[in-house]
Amino acid sequence: MHTNTANSELFENLRLELRRGCLSVAVLLQLRTELYGYAIRKALGEQGLAIDENTLYPLLRRLETQGLLVSQWREEEKRNKRFYRLSSAGEQVLASLLAEWRQMNGALERIQTVSGKIAEEQQNEQHRID
Amino acid sequence: MSNTELTERYLSAIKLWLPRKQQTDILAEIAEDLHAQTEDRESALGRPLTADEMVELLKQRGSPLRVASGYLPDQRLINPAMVPMYRMVLKIVLLWVLLPLFVILYLGPILASRNPGLALLDFWAHAWQSLFFTIGIVTAVFWLIDRYHSMSVDRWDPRKLPRVPRSQQQMQWYNDFAGFAFGMATAIFWGAIMWHRSAFVTPALHVVLLPIWGQIFWLMLVLVTARSLVNLYCFVRPTWSAARSWVRLALDGIDIVVPLVLLRVTNWVEIPAVGKLTVADAAKLVSLLNWGMQITLVSILVFTAVDVFQQGRLLWRAKSIHSAPMLTMS
Repeated sequence: MHTNTANSELFENLRLELRRGCLSVAVLLQLRTELYGYAIRKALGEQGLAIDENTLYPLLRRLETQGLLVSQWREEEKRNKRFYRLSSAGEQVLASLLAEWRQMNGALERIQTVSGKIAEEQQNEQHRID
Repeated sequence: MSNTELTERYLSAIKLWLPRKQQTDILAEIAEDLHAQTEDRESALGRPLTADEMVELLKQRGSPLRVASGYLPDQRLINPAMVPMYRMVLKIVLLWVLLPLFVILYLGPILASRNPGLALLDFWAHAWQSLFFTIGIVTAVFWLIDRYHSMSVDRWDPRKLPRVPRSQQQMQWYNDFAGFAFGMATAIFWGAIMWHRSAFVTPALHVVLLPIWGQIFWLMLVLVTARSLVNLYCFVRPTWSAARSWVRLALDGIDIVVPLVLLRVTNWVEIPAVGKLTVADAAKLVSLLNWGMQITLVSILVFTAVDVFQQGRLLWRAKSIHSAPMLTMS
């Protein structure tokens, strides 16, 4: 029981670490088209990457401060909303980030395949010895 | 309470923690998100949200402090990379400076006091005061280092790293030999100088030893010799055994009890006013010698306590790993 709880906490921490970098890329990707905050949340959620408001809005603000996003307040459906879109600097950084992500993804795939084969060979060897 | 009032209270509570310059902008965005989320829920339900549902929705968003904290810059007192050094410095200052200092300064007076309870209370109050003061000073120093970047963990050179220390076993081996040599020297000195001695007499000074010296003569000689022989045994046979630690612990026990009993003695010597020595000067000298004895006894207690800790740790480690095939420390 205790081990299960510890494992699930451990998993949750690792999951959050894994998600942190991916969320920035996902938001930058999503903002290739202009959207306001709540619409970004909905769009990401519909595509399987739910993000809560306490993560999204500070992230948007940080990305804007870093010059990767631009924003403006505009009235839509009789309400003032802040619309965000990717800046030209953001487009360049996004391209580099995507290249990095593909490279990392490819490396992970290769590591999984190779280490899987080695583990299988070691198991077979062990069986032969036994 | 209406939903509007609940929302206003929530936003107002968030505002309290936000950076002043960005308050309006951030709050407008959070309010808009809250509004959009409420509308979504209401359109899904086909009716306005009840107060309870609104409370639930706000709770899901998180406490005002948690929401505001996302917008605050990363603040820290100490660079995380410096934390191991901070902990080490704090440990050294507290355990190896403050604690022995307090024991030396207070243990004697506590044991010699007619009212030990009051002396203990005084010690307790000063100990806490000093503890917080010391932690505060060390933390402030590290904060200043971080604040003014006067020490960077990334400025380093492999050639300037400290040398690898000698192995624990070799160090302990030297310690055992030093313990044996020092112990034998002390035993010889004690035996030769204190044998049937009742006074030290020089033309300028007569120091009369009180009967307590005669009473502890044999006890001290046996204790010092026994400890010296144990050190010799450890030096000749450096491999650790549980029996060895138990023997050392037994000697430590005697080494703790004897000074504790002796600390009750308030007067060790008498100095009569002879020659040019006045009565006041003689009294001062007596007081100084008595104080010196107290410090010596407390120091023995501290060093013995350290050995008790080390031997206890060795035994505990050996027990926790069941079989300790080659523990090399003595």
